[in-house]
Amino acid sequence: MPRNAQSPTDRALPRELAAMRARRNFLTQMGLGFGSVALSAMLQSESRAAASDRPGPHFAPKAKSVIWLFMIGGASHMETFDPKPALNEHAGKKIDESPYADILKSPYLANERVLFPDPNNGFVRHDIYPMQVGFQKHGQSALEISDWFPHLAKQADDLAIVRSMWTEDSNHGAQYQFHTGRHRIDGVFPTIGAWANYGLGSLNENLPQFVVMGTPVADCCGGRETHGADYLGPQYDGVPLTIDPKNPLPYAKPPADVFAEEQQAEFAFLRELNEMTAQRYPGDDVLRARIESYELAYRMQSAIPEVVDFSGETKETLTEYGVDQPQTQEFGRQMLAARRLVERGVRFVQVYHGSNGGAGQWDSHGGLKNSHANLCGQTDRPIAALLADLKRRGLLDETIVVWATEFGRTPGSQNGDGRDHHPYGFSVWLAGGGLKGGVAHGATDELGFHAVENRHYVSDVHATVLHQLGLDTRKLVIPGRKRLEKEFGQPIREIIA
Amino acid sequence: MRRTRAISFAAACALASLVAGRCWGEETEYLRDVKPIFIEKCSSCHGPLKQEASLRLDAASLIQKGGDSGPAAAPGEFEKTLLFERVATDDLATRMPPEGEGEKLTEEQFAHLKRWIAAGMPAPADERPLPDPADHWAFQPLDRNARGPGEGGSGAGGSPDVMIDAKLASAGIEPLPEADRATLVRRLYFDLIGLPPTVEETRAILADESPDAYERLVDRLLEDPRYGERWGRHWMDVWRYSDWDGYKDELRSSSRHLWHWRDWIVRSLNEDKPYDRMIAEMLAGDELAPEDPEALAATGFLARNYHHLNRDIWLDWTTEHSAKAFVGLTIACAKCHDHKFDPLSQTEYYAWRALFEPHRVRTDRLPGQIDVMQDGLPRAYDADPAVPTYLYIRGDEKHPDKERPIAPGVPAILGESLTVAPIELPPMAYFPALAEHVERDLVDAAEDQIAAARASVEECEKAAAIEEAAAGAPSIDDGAELADVATEREEASAAIKLAELSLAEAECALQSLRARYASDRAKHALPKTRSEEELKTLAREASAAERRHAAAVAERELFERRQALTKAQSSAEPDEKKRTEAVAKAKGEAEAATKKRDEALANVEKVDEAYAPVGESYSKTSAGRRLALARWIASPDNPLTARVAVNHVWMRHFGKPLVANPSDFGVRTPRPVQLDVLDSLAREFIDSGWSFKALHRRIVTSKAWRRASSAEPETLARNEAVDQENALLWRQSARRLEAEPIRDAMLYVAGKLDATTSGPDLDPSQGEKVYRRSLYFRHAREKQMKMLTLFDGASPDDCYRRAESVVPQQALAVANSELARTMSRTLARQLSGSAESPVADERFVDLAFETTLGRSPTEEERGASLAFLAKQRESLSHREKLTALGGAQAAATPASDDPALRARESLTHVLFSHNDFVTIR
Repeated sequence: MPRNAQSPTDRALPRELAAMRARRNFLTQMGLGFGSVALSAMLQSESRAAASDRPGPHFAPKAKSVIWLFMIGGASHMETFDPKPALNEHAGKKIDESPYADILKSPYLANERVLFPDPNNGFVRHDIYPMQVGFQKHGQSALEISDWFPHLAKQADDLAIVRSMWTEDSNHGAQYQFHTGRHRIDGVFPTIGAWANYGLGSLNENLPQFVVMGTPVADCCGGRETHGADYLGPQYDGVPLTIDPKNPLPYAKPPADVFAEEQQAEFAFLRELNEMTAQRYPGDDVLRARIESYELAYRMQSAIPEVVDFSGETKETLTEYGVDQPQTQEFGRQMLAARRLVERGVRFVQVYHGSNGGAGQWDSHGGLKNSHANLCGQTDRPIAALLADLKRRGLLDETIVVWATEFGRTPGSQNGDGRDHHPYGFSVWLAGGGLKGGVAHGATDELGFHAVENRHYVSDVHATVLHQLGLDTRKLVIPGRKRLEKEFGQPIREIIA
Repeated sequence: MRRTRAISFAAACALASLVAGRCWGEETEYLRDVKPIFIEKCSSCHGPLKQEASLRLDAASLIQKGGDSGPAAAPGEFEKTLLFERVATDDLATRMPPEGEGEKLTEEQFAHLKRWIAAGMPAPADERPLPDPADHWAFQPLDRNARGPGEGGSGAGGSPDVMIDAKLASAGIEPLPEADRATLVRRLYFDLIGLPPTVEETRAILADESPDAYERLVDRLLEDPRYGERWGRHWMDVWRYSDWDGYKDELRSSSRHLWHWRDWIVRSLNEDKPYDRMIAEMLAGDELAPEDPEALAATGFLARNYHHLNRDIWLDWTTEHSAKAFVGLTIACAKCHDHKFDPLSQTEYYAWRALFEPHRVRTDRLPGQIDVMQDGLPRAYDADPAVPTYLYIRGDEKHPDKERPIAPGVPAILGESLTVAPIELPPMAYFPALAEHVERDLVDAAEDQIAAARASVEECEKAAAIEEAAAGAPSIDDGAELADVATEREEASAAIKLAELSLAEAECALQSLRARYASDRAKHALPKTRSEEELKTLAREASAAERRHAAAVAERELFERRQALTKAQSSAEPDEKKRTEAVAKAKGEAEAATKKRDEALANVEKVDEAYAPVGESYSKTSAGRRLALARWIASPDNPLTARVAVNHVWMRHFGKPLVANPSDFGVRTPRPVQLDVLDSLAREFIDSGWSFKALHRRIVTSKAWRRASSAEPETLARNEAVDQENALLWRQSARRLEAEPIRDAMLYVAGKLDATTSGPDLDPSQGEKVYRRSLYFRHAREKQMKMLTLFDGASPDDCYRRAESVVPQQALAVANSELARTMSRTLARQLSGSAESPVADERFVDLAFETTLGRSPTEEERGASLAFLAKQRESLSHREKLTALGGAQAAATPASDDPALRARESLTHVLFSHNDFVTIR
């Protein structure tokens, strides 16, 4: 029966039930007080069988997919995308001996919240430490990018750098915070990829909509919750993908001794049996959904290995992505797979770089020059290749590429040749997907300490990405699950084309 | 309530109920666009809960009527109203809603208000303000709704069916008949023990024509120890079970060895321990029965909330979930401000927290294990019975209101205040080392040390003797060799000396331990058995023994340091500087050791009563707050406790709860359609002595539970036209199994389930190789079994209700996991009989269906299955033509080489993937 049809037998119903039906009908008609998301979620069958019953998009999307690159450990903004000549000028001085002593009195310092304090790390460092790399202007936009990104620099005119990010956690729980917009102290929440997955319909029925590559964030700092869906349900979790056609994701392949024909016959026979059962239980929507989920699973099983099988790619492409070089091989393969995934309609590809089973390789408390030079080297060519390749294929317009990290690093030195965690100001960049290119938005102060101009909390990046996908973060709510203002964020209008 | 959508419905209904009724035009606009603004933004302070400034804004007439400052609004120009003045201002001192209570109105909301006021503030004539929360159904005493025995309520012979059937009759619905026996039996097995019936069991019950066959089966399953495992896992969801959580070896939250609490849950359910007693043990086992390890294990409920760095998170969790789990109150919503919907003030949140404020968690030693990292009993105790609780202004722990400590208490809306009486603890409780087993284990360990030291002495002596004999034999002309012999002799005698010193030390350690035990026991004996003078003597003896031990330690250390010095001096280190430094360092250490030894010897001469007690001691009194809370919760007069528990049980038998949101019985949750059923079951539950088994029995023997879940399309359509939601319970609901019974059933039907019960949590990464039941695997934030999470396993943080998703990853997990393949192969071989008595295909198909789906195949299914077997057999007979899928993992049980058997393995595997394998019909 249609959900909002009024039944003639209403009168005969017990009072409570009649009231409930009336309320439900009313709600269906009015969308009272809740967004359409809430309403559809509310009226959805509890089995959640209807995967097509998506809440979004809320308005015309500018982009279809997201490739989300996350540098684990905290990449230094001052050695990547936010040059600070004052650091060189005042190198060796204490901050309070420099003309910028006031930054130590800033109210922004009070934003810091730590769940797991580390006695050694996560402090303000006072000895001003010079930039460890040079910066040049690149492209027509003359965007300044560090010399550790020579290939990416060629794409300067496609990048929208945001130099005024801030977060709260001065320890690596910030990795989790960057993906949920919530501090770990607050609990567990859905991540940006899960929201995108939840909010939008599928573009390719044969592939998961939210794919994760690279070794994820370690248990110290959020673990699988950093690409989890929490209360949205496991169907919106990121699905980990390995670049190995033999074993690309958990349960993607049967044990080694199973033949393709054997399994194909099994799936066919299963369908036959389930259809017989479906005839006996004509009203069983869940059974129908399960039949479909098996069909999809079967298709996924062949579609996924195909995505990570690069035998169809040209040698030039592999070289461009750096797949033939030891330093860039791993990330290069992931970038190439990322392109292949979005090409096939996957909505959200999250790629982690720099796992070391703990805080992350980018976490350069010492030896920053060597470690950052190396890590930038691992990623520079593959990212540049990805942007160029997407552009060539006309995919960059509909794909947002995000480069991010949990926080920046201190303007002051730690251990003589490193920098500490720095939540008060750092950089990320976005490209493609209807965003402006060749812009640097927002600014930190002269020392790169505080974001001072057009400050953006991490969820502003989420809101921007979702906005380009046609989603209004404020409409992404589940009744009974309160989301905070800070969690919703605001789209960064200035970088939207 | 992770992943549960039902709440949403509840919340929406609460709001919608304000506006139910027919309405048109502008009134509709008011109800749709305007009223929700007042309800969301204003009514918590200007509504039934509170009337700040004597103003209510929960009905149009009240808005016009206004409060202390006059009407909030009158028809006309919005900008001229008081309402506008207060909501439009940017002055945070006067803006409504106030900062921290709500965001400023949006442009859209301003526009709605403006249009409505300009239109003359139209509203339905019969509009009613929000109801008084004190009248909320869930806060009323049970018996107001429960009907008497004559009407089928509580009492002998009463059944919820009478109430359910009456509603069905008045709605003109003919309920579905009882499910067929095979379906019913399978449903019953899964519901009560979480595993399917075996083929023999099904056949036996189908053949049993005695009138009470079903009832006897129910009784038998309730007595089956697997009942405790099945329902233990359910209650672990509600009570938020989590094994220890942390990074590498560092504990971050919950507690190590929390499985003792899991085992307590399983045992308690199997014993049918009364629920009121279970509540008391979980919240206050240490106060209720301070020397009973069983009751202490129950306090794992509290130990689970331990947080290693943040006491506020720890107590917030405890506060939030003790209220949700036992009384269905979302008191956590009142942490930062008064509850927006329920009559729960912020002060009451902190009063509830104060009930837990004194408690902490520690790990007590268990018999046979002195290392609590290896095993131990995590348990609650009151560390500081008088510690104050402060209200955090706006919930911010940086701003405690120290002027006004909050006394422990329970929400006033539920009547009855608490009677808190401090509890004097017995010595064993505040000084756990006094337990016999602790002394015995420590003494055993000390004796082992002595034995080891003695063996070492003997070994050294034997080695020296052999060397001596060897040295005596050859010519001793050679000077160098002589020197060697001398060195070796020296080394050998040094080794003996060191071993002897270690032995002396070990002996002293035991004497010290015994003397200190003697003194500590006497000191803490109740009643006192020794005079003050005797106590002093014992203390002096303990002190002396301890000092002698210290001296023995110092002697041994000194000897070691001196040996080290000798070694440094005779070192062959060529670098002069390094050698000098090493000698200087060793010399310094030897001197320090000498000094320490001399002091220790001097101390031996001293006489006093100071010594280290044999273990840690804690507060001798417990605040008694938790026990008071437990008694209040588990009181027969508490209107919520039994209702909440019954609702949880009901939900797990029907797939749907009676009360839409199992963790929120507040005013946002509407009066349930079957309130009379809920209340009569709750009354009966209490009257039965809070017996869960009696409750299960009542439910699964009811007609409502035994109904079929499906029928002819016409019947379904007819009933659904009246009651699509099945709120009237005219049918059972088909449900998907939870994660654990899916995995367990695969193991079980293949005969591989390891029935071992209890014990330490198992490594979840071994879940496809270790065949224990799923509830025994580690389950914490970062430590969960992949297969269980795919099938909506419980979130360890919050899971009052499981979700039932259908996703392709689940399909892949069954299709491709090693577990499913291994089990299906094992099963096929078992069902195929032996070479001597082979089983024909027809019979195999029947057996395979009965084993996995609990029913025989239909003719159609049998035919299709036989065709499938033939086709697979044929195809597998020509392997050279087949394509490898290239999976990386080798199966624990390789596929059969016999094409016929392999085809059967293929069939059982398909049946594992069958919808009805994971479905309770």
